[in-house]
Amino acid sequence: MHEFSIADALAAQILRRAPAGRRVREVEIRVGALRGLEPEAMKMCWDAVTHDTALAGSVLVMDMRPWSLACPACGRVWESPVPFAECSCGEASPRPTAGDELDLVSMTVDEDDDTVGAEAGAEAEAR
Amino acid sequence: MSDRVKTTKIPIVERVLEANDQLAETVRADLEGRGIFAVDIIGAPGSGKTALLEATLRALKGRRHPAVLVGDLATRRDADRLAHWCDQVVQISTGQGCHLEAGQVRDALKEIDLSEVDLLFIENVGNLICPVGFDLGQAAKVGVFAVTDGDDKAAKHPYLVQAADVLLLNKIDLLPYVPFDRSIFEADVRLLNATVPILDVSSTTGAGLDAWLDWLDRSPADKGASNPSA
Repeated sequence: MHEFSIADALAAQILRRAPAGRRVREVEIRVGALRGLEPEAMKMCWDAVTHDTALAGSVLVMDMRPWSLACPACGRVWESPVPFAECSCGEASPRPTAGDELDLVSMTVDEDDDTVGAEAGAEAEAR
Repeated sequence: MSDRVKTTKIPIVERVLEANDQLAETVRADLEGRGIFAVDIIGAPGSGKTALLEATLRALKGRRHPAVLVGDLATRRDADRLAHWCDQVVQISTGQGCHLEAGQVRDALKEIDLSEVDLLFIENVGNLICPVGFDLGQAAKVGVFAVTDGDDKAAKHPYLVQAADVLLLNKIDLLPYVPFDRSIFEADVRLLNATVPILDVSSTTGAGLDAWLDWLDRSPADKGASNPSA
C-alpha cells in the first residue's frame, strides 16, 4: 500500500517544517491522477501515522487532480476521474494525460498568543 | 477546526517525497559517475521478473559486468536463484514495504564492489503500482507485463506505462494458449505512451531476448530510438 509510505513521508516532512509549538490543524497536498492514490486509504493512513504524534487529529486535505482526455475525432478536451472514457461524439479512444505531482501545498497551524499574522506570513515567505 | 482558535495557513512548495528524491539523485550521480547503467525492473508478482533476469544474466555472462539488487517482502530465494548467474547479488528484504526506496538501494550498493560493474539490475518488489512513484536513482524504468496477466493490465496501470522507458511483454511463448489480445494491449499502451518500446520476450524459449539485450547495450540516449512497435 503506497499510501502508507507516502503518509509516513508526509508526516515526517510536516513535523520537520511546522513552526515550533504551534498545533497543526490541516495539511493540504496536491495529487496528480497518475499517482493512483486512493483518498480514503490515504486519509486512513494519515490518521494511523499521525496517531500519538504532535500531528494527531490534523486533517489531510487532498486536491485530487483529474485526468485530461482529448478526443482525436472532435477535438473536445475534458477532465475525467478515469483515464479511459468514450467521448460524447462516440469516439472510443480519447487520449488520456495526467500529472504525477505529489506536492505539499500548505499547512494550517494555530496562531500563538504572541504570534500575529504578519509574523506567520513572514515565516511562510521565508520557506 | 475549532472556531475559537485562530489559525494561519502557511503555503509550502515542496514535493512530498523530497527526501527520497534527494537520496535517489545521490545514488544516480554515483552510478553515472562510475559508468553504471541502472534499470529499475517493475512488474506484478508472477510476471516473470526473476526468470527474465536469470535468462538475461546467463546471456550477458562474459560480455557485461552486471550486479543485481532484488527486493522482496520476505525470503532470499530470488537472490539465491540469481546468484547462480551473477556473483554480485544483494537481496533487500522490505518486510512490510510494498516497494523499494532510494535509501535501501544506497545501503545495498555498499555491499557490492562497484569498480567492475557496468550494469545494475534492480528487481523491485512484485507490484505494478507502488514502486513506480519512488525514484531509486535508476537510469531507466523497465515495466514487465506477462500475457498470462491479461491484456487489460496496461490500461489498469497507467503510471507504470507512462513512466516506463521500455516495456517487456513476457511469456510471449504462451500467447497461443491464453486469451490475451496483443492489439488491445498495445492500443492501451499507445494511448498512454506513444513512444515507449514494447519488446515481446520469453525467458523460457529465449524468444525476443536479443532485442532486450540490444536495448541494454545501446547508449542511454539511444534507447527510445529503435521502436519495433512505433
